[in-house]
Amino acid sequence: MVYDLFLGCVIPARLPYLEASARKIFEKLDIELKDVDGFSCCPDPTGIELIDHKTWLALGARNLSLCNKNGGVISFCSGCVETLKGVNYYINKDLSVKKEVNKYLQKIGKVYEGKTKVKHFAEVLYENLEKVKEKVENPLEGFKVAVHYGCHYLRPSEIIEWDDPFEPVTVDAIVEALGAESVDYDLKMECCGNPLEKSDKDLSLLMIDNKLNAIQKSGANCVVVVCPACYQQFEFNQRELNKINNTNYNLPIFYLSEVVALAFGYKPEELGLNFHRIRPNALFESLGFNF
Amino acid sequence: MSVINFEFRNEVLKHNASLSYCYQCSTCSGGCPVALLTEGKYNPRKIIEEAILGLQDKLVNEQDPNPWLCSTCQKCVELCPQKVELTEIFTLIKNLCFEKEKYPEAFSAQAQAVLEHGIAIPYSKAIITRREKLGLPNINIAPIEEIQTLLKETNFEKHILKGENK
Repeated sequence: MVYDLFLGCVIPARLPYLEASARKIFEKLDIELKDVDGFSCCPDPTGIELIDHKTWLALGARNLSLCNKNGGVISFCSGCVETLKGVNYYINKDLSVKKEVNKYLQKIGKVYEGKTKVKHFAEVLYENLEKVKEKVENPLEGFKVAVHYGCHYLRPSEIIEWDDPFEPVTVDAIVEALGAESVDYDLKMECCGNPLEKSDKDLSLLMIDNKLNAIQKSGANCVVVVCPACYQQFEFNQRELNKINNTNYNLPIFYLSEVVALAFGYKPEELGLNFHRIRPNALFESLGFNF
Repeated sequence: MSVINFEFRNEVLKHNASLSYCYQCSTCSGGCPVALLTEGKYNPRKIIEEAILGLQDKLVNEQDPNPWLCSTCQKCVELCPQKVELTEIFTLIKNLCFEKEKYPEAFSAQAQAVLEHGIAIPYSKAIITRREKLGLPNINIAPIEEIQTLLKETNFEKHILKGENK
């Protein structure tokens, strides 16, 4: 199987270590990801779309027009996936939108018919779950994972068309296939609050504080996310919250690709786990998890 | 005093006819995490009500409730028994706020970056070095002239530059 790879902005330009683990696991699964030249920002469905919908459509359609040769396009980012799926949705729903977008694209010599298939990398992992299980060399015994789906991986379901918008199962199933335990917790389906950082920082912090508190109470010893915005919200705010509220959050936050890679036998240094602000070493030691 | 602006109402309706399906049951607000945390200060039902009534001043100028407090979690859209496309309508309202230069500063920083570089986060030297250390390939991003041509066509450039001079 071959997919075009849409990297977006946040992962490759700010959190490249997440990209490292994601590329490695697809290599191990013999699923080829092809780099494509010339992508722009997806653009951000919680940024550019909110200030100018037609610019969002035009840039998104231009990106999609570059990748219709392989089995579709996949991204490691829920925001990029929502944008690319969303652009397809609007173009295919309304012929006048398709015409307008193509009127813009014509100026740069491009055309987009709305046919490129878009998938989140977790979708592809779930579709290959048996293969994932076969490749597990180092089961994640003792990992009590609080899975955070985030919003844009699931909703709006009419656009995303994947998993259940309120009772999802896919990421839990992947985590359990690695030998870890998925721990249920209050507020599991709540938003992390990251998009509100742009308009109300206090509110954004309150949302992540509530989630971290619920996770701490559940007995989970780490969190797994599938979106770089959620990743930053969970990892970058723990110290700040500890300072403001006297909490003692110290939860390792893993990207789904990182826990898959650890279970596949990759070593922390190959994955750049040292770049995490909350180092998972203490967790590994307490579980006797060796490499 | 709020004045009804029929043109504004028609503009929202023209873009999204689902607005007229709303019967104000408040299921959206009941499921909204921000409505809960702000004790109803942010209230999606009320935004829809003001849009139906054509209260442009309240929505765009006074921003009461403030449409920028939507976390885009998309729960309201899933829950609505009348299939009102709330977040699409909120996007339209926010787009109109943008045209009137009524938007949080952080959005303009992202817009500037896309306008200048084609991507929201330009690659810094430190990140390029880190990518090399991690064995990651070099990324060839979009030619900036092409992106700027496109952004001229959609009038994005004009709006951003207008915002710069405010």
